[in-house]
Amino acid sequence: MLLNNELRLKIVNLATGAGEGHIPSSFSIVDLIDHVYGNVLRIEKNQANDLKRDYFILSKGHGALALYVVLNKYGFLSDEDLNSYGQRDSNLGGHPDRVSTDFVEASTGSLGHGFPFAVGIALGNQVRNYGNRVIALLGDGECHEGSVWEAANIAANQGLNNLVAIVDWNESAMQLMPIDMMAEKWESFGWDVIVIDGHSKSGLNYAFDLELLDGKTKPYAVIAKNIKGRGVPFLEGHGVWHHKIPNAHELEQIMEALR
Amino acid sequence: MTSLRPQFAETISRIGNIDSDLFVVVGDISHGLLSEFRENHPSRYRNIGICEPAMISVSAGLNAAGFNPVIHTIAPFLIERSFEQIKLDFGYQKFNCNLISVGSSFDYVKLGCSHHSYIDVALIASIEDSKVFIPGSKNEFDTLFTDNYQSSGVKYFRLTENGHGFDGLTNDAVAGKNIVVRQGTEITIVTLGPSLRTAMAVSDMLEKDGISVEVIYVHSFKPFDANSILESVSKTGALVSISQLSTVGGLGSLCVNAISGKVLFDYLNFEIDSFIRGYGELEDLQNRANHSPEHIFSKIVTTFELRKP
Repeated sequence: MLLNNELRLKIVNLATGAGEGHIPSSFSIVDLIDHVYGNVLRIEKNQANDLKRDYFILSKGHGALALYVVLNKYGFLSDEDLNSYGQRDSNLGGHPDRVSTDFVEASTGSLGHGFPFAVGIALGNQVRNYGNRVIALLGDGECHEGSVWEAANIAANQGLNNLVAIVDWNESAMQLMPIDMMAEKWESFGWDVIVIDGHSKSGLNYAFDLELLDGKTKPYAVIAKNIKGRGVPFLEGHGVWHHKIPNAHELEQIMEALR
Repeated sequence: MTSLRPQFAETISRIGNIDSDLFVVVGDISHGLLSEFRENHPSRYRNIGICEPAMISVSAGLNAAGFNPVIHTIAPFLIERSFEQIKLDFGYQKFNCNLISVGSSFDYVKLGCSHHSYIDVALIASIEDSKVFIPGSKNEFDTLFTDNYQSSGVKYFRLTENGHGFDGLTNDAVAGKNIVVRQGTEITIVTLGPSLRTAMAVSDMLEKDGISVEVIYVHSFKPFDANSILESVSKTGALVSISQLSTVGGLGSLCVNAISGKVLFDYLNFEIDSFIRGYGELEDLQNRANHSPEHIFSKIVTTFELRKP
């Protein structure tokens, strides 16, 4: 069963309206981000700058639309702001920018930045003993970046049990340099690892059991077996749709598939 | 010659005792030197490992979490290797940090070009809201760091192992304020950090030849005191720049950009435009870079002879 038809429809409409957006990448992670904001993060609407809030960092910034629609769903981003996406003078563009938008935690777009940044937040929070959760989402293609593995090493070495890395394992890396044994790689870097279906409620509930999270002694990697473009068959997989905007006919087909 | 590193350790230790936000991150150097800070504040000290790009991004996270990071390793690894992390994670995201490098341009005279850096200053200066300091004495570092480490943006402090040795002339360093260390009327020599030693030797030779030289000393590359350059060159009509920075985006172009369109002047620039290969002592590398006082002196004399009617 598809979890977030409504959010996917919003993503497609926003991308089409603006003529900008990575639709399949956003479809790959929207279920994960929705679950994290709905069930895991403890943030109130007056906590945009509160150091004790929980953090979600979208390291694969090109999935920005998925983040925007979820922030909107939970009241962290107004309808007006969301609907301005991609327009001249909007704060919301193809990659998220923390400076222009409250509750966007990192300005990403270049891969291999958000995750080590999240490691630093987790380290700072551990030293301050705030007990908050830091969750970063990165792509499997992003795992080509050396800084990802530098940071994975650092997190394990520093014993950051308040840190979760979600790997959107939609096999983008397969197209150029496959990363086999994703789970084993993170495990070998000293992380607790779980592999789930990132589009299923039971998988998400299982991976993000709160008692499990709070009992960790190591950083925790959730390897989510996702499908790029999940929800609309002709968008699924890798190819022209990565950064393509649908025409009127294609938009109709997408809406049809999501209804 | 004086290393500024011990002063770094002393300053950090002093401030660390009163500022519980100061967090020191090192890339596997100087841990012996920084032992006092480390022992007094183990929770705010990390030898993060040999992974400079992630070290930068992690430090941005530390700032997001409320700490004021002091990030320290050798110049090319800290700045050149990690530049995009600095540009985006601090610059674009508007986070604050203090970058402290060692090695200056080619202090590592016996280690080869892997440990040299000429473009680091221009790179950091290119970032919005950054500050760049090149102290040439212990006192300058102590003052500039103490005054600026809590200000916004990326602050870069470029330490040298070879202080200029004219410490009495450069006390009371203030960000954005140059120091006129010698007054004269015919040529303006502008110099930076450790290069003051060379500039003083050159100006001694020129004075002996009867040429009156004004020497302006720069420790603060950004913010930059353009007025002092304009004032001096308006008087002398001749600008000579001496530094161990890259010719691209170095001290010469900084001065020229600062006064162009405001005064006509002759211009000679002594900076670095190639790898300074080979080994030896500092003097050997300076000679290979055509930065010996004798070479600079003769080049200036030739140029100024040509200029005379």
